Amino acid sequence: MNDAIHPLAKKAVIWHLALTALVLILMMIFGVIMLMNQGEMISITPQWFYKIMTAHGTGMVGIAALGGTAILWYFLSKYVKLNPAILIVNLVLFLTGVTMVLIAIFVFDFSDGWTFLYPLPAQSAKMYGAAGAVFFLAGMLILGIGFLLLYMYLAARLTAVYGSLGKALGWDIIFRGKKGYGPPAAVVATAMVIITNSTALLAGATVLAASLVNIINPAITIDPLLAKHLTYAFGHIFANCTIYMAVIAVYEVLSEYTKRPWKANKVFLIAWNCSTLFTLMIYTHHLLMDFAVPKWMLIIGQVFSYANGLPVMVVTAYGALMIVYRSRMKWDFASSLFFLSMFGWVAGAIPAIIDATIVVNHVMHNTKWVPGHFHTYMGMGVVAMIIGFMYYFNKTEGNQQHRGIDTFTITLYFAFFTGLVGSFLYAGGISAPRRWAEHLPQWVLSDQVGAVSGIFIVLAAIIFTARFFAGLRSVGTKVPYNKNSAAG
Amino acid sequence: MYQLIAMYATVFFVFLLALAFAFVYGESKRSGEYSAIQEKGYKIRKFYFLGLIAIMAFATIMTLGRLPYDRNQAEAEGFSEPKVVKVTGIQYAWEMSEERFEVGDKVQFDVTASDVTHGFGLYNEKMELVAQTQAMPEYTNTVYYTFEEPGTYQILCLEYCSTGHHVMVKEIVVEPEGGSSDE
Ligand SMILES: [Cu+2]
Repeated sequence: MNDAIHPLAKKAVIWHLALTALVLILMMIFGVIMLMNQGEMISITPQWFYKIMTAHGTGMVGIAALGGTAILWYFLSKYVKLNPAILIVNLVLFLTGVTMVLIAIFVFDFSDGWTFLYPLPAQSAKMYGAAGAVFFLAGMLILGIGFLLLYMYLAARLTAVYGSLGKALGWDIIFRGKKGYGPPAAVVATAMVIITNSTALLAGATVLAASLVNIINPAITIDPLLAKHLTYAFGHIFANCTIYMAVIAVYEVLSEYTKRPWKANKVFLIAWNCSTLFTLMIYTHHLLMDFAVPKWMLIIGQVFSYANGLPVMVVTAYGALMIVYRSRMKWDFASSLFFLSMFGWVAGAIPAIIDATIVVNHVMHNTKWVPGHFHTYMGMGVVAMIIGFMYYFNKTEGNQQHRGIDTFTITLYFAFFTGLVGSFLYAGGISAPRRWAEHLPQWVLSDQVGAVSGIFIVLAAIIFTARFFAGLRSVGTKVPYNKNSAAG
Repeated sequence: MYQLIAMYATVFFVFLLALAFAFVYGESKRSGEYSAIQEKGYKIRKFYFLGLIAIMAFATIMTLGRLPYDRNQAEAEGFSEPKVVKVTGIQYAWEMSEERFEVGDKVQFDVTASDVTHGFGLYNEKMELVAQTQAMPEYTNTVYYTFEEPGTYQILCLEYCSTGHHVMVKEIVVEPEGGSSDE
């Protein structure tokens, strides 16, 4: 029971989580539909496939960001007084943006993918009418503005409390030799996300606005390579930041369960500063196949993509292992998911780092290898963190208890998620392209394995969600917090 | 070849990672004093960190010398007088200045697009991806490839380019060295 958190903010966190849980299931179903179509188990038109693909990509990244925001807000509130109105403004703008994106896709047939590479939206606008592209781009813009406002507010709050964003990132300990520990992990992570994601959102806003202008007045054009840089600076950093927001829960909860402090020592702070810097730079590995990009920039793309694995592998994941080692920790729903989520994050980083190697990228870029690696750290990392937090929230704010079915669901989810990402990575290994509505016979088996795995993942997600909503009923009711007395 | 290396390396490292997590899970049922665990853990971490750096440095040195589109390197590999082929992607087809090749041809593909961004993915007869680059409007990306085996090769679009993306395939024929077969 955390009294530092404003009651309205708690409500807003519940709305965030409820929305996240429902949208996750829907997006997972979209994923299964795509795999079933590729696996020739059902048949939908290519137009529908690409519409669903656009919704799945946009929706998953968006919902991971929303879930991550709920986690960030909840834990940061323990250290910094926050005004819940801002969180609600973000939610409203998010919903507005999402509604526009859905209208674009399902009413006006927009299907250019969530990467919307310029001049594709303009080209589609010519063929299918401008409404779809305009709704989509404007919806994304509004959604981005919501997050940007949120980060500006958080930047102001951290500056007020800690002096500056640099101090929130522990610069006086790293550079000025100040002794002791830095701010709490939630503060350090928030500062990192503010810096990187604001940059991402500004890059995104630039390319979205430019694309819109171009659709309205085709005489005003942008450079396609510059647009691609901006698009990936936006998309890659934004997707990355979902993890950096959600991981706050891992620090907080594992430290609580093990009764061991997870303090921001110097190495921890250096790692987070490195992540800040590298996350800003490594989107260039999306451009490794654009040889028009200067060679040094591509080499940076490779070298820093490697280096970006280090902070998580050496500090965060290793720290999680150290804190759990011989801790006699209680393994329940939340702790299991947070522990497994660290595995998922690092396991996804491995094929990602391998793919960032230019010679490998040359024969694996835009194959299914790519969704293979990011589904690993999104599905088994970020989403596991968000679901873990849903249970932790219900347990802390209500009286949810771990049951046998939870152990079953966790096993179901992780086992079949391994099957899903395994089928993706394998398909990438045999050169199956990503984003193809129809597949050649030699790729179909991997799609079927993926589709069947996906069905069981959806099943697990439905059980998770049902348990979450059931647990919500006890949240906020003045049930005696003492579990012994509640158990009677 | 790189596909196989990537798959085996991934399985190997993920397996090691799973072992580490399983070990710590097993040990989580015992209890220990945290400051001692930390002290020992930080020592081990030093070696782990240096090990990772060593692996990454090794991979970097081994691979950055083999950039698939480096002009100097292509020349060193005998591309001084390559066969230059102009490739243009357009929704939903590939236009090429030349479509028939022979084994031994050293080809320089100059790839661009006339409408939106596409992806030039060259597949051999076994449907293995052997080379790729992006086909982007206003830019020309150059990729080098030496045909070493005869057969029907295909160019698949590898960057999503709207609803006809997956039909954007072109077949090209590579004939055995020194003569055409009539197959
Ligand atoms: Cu295309």
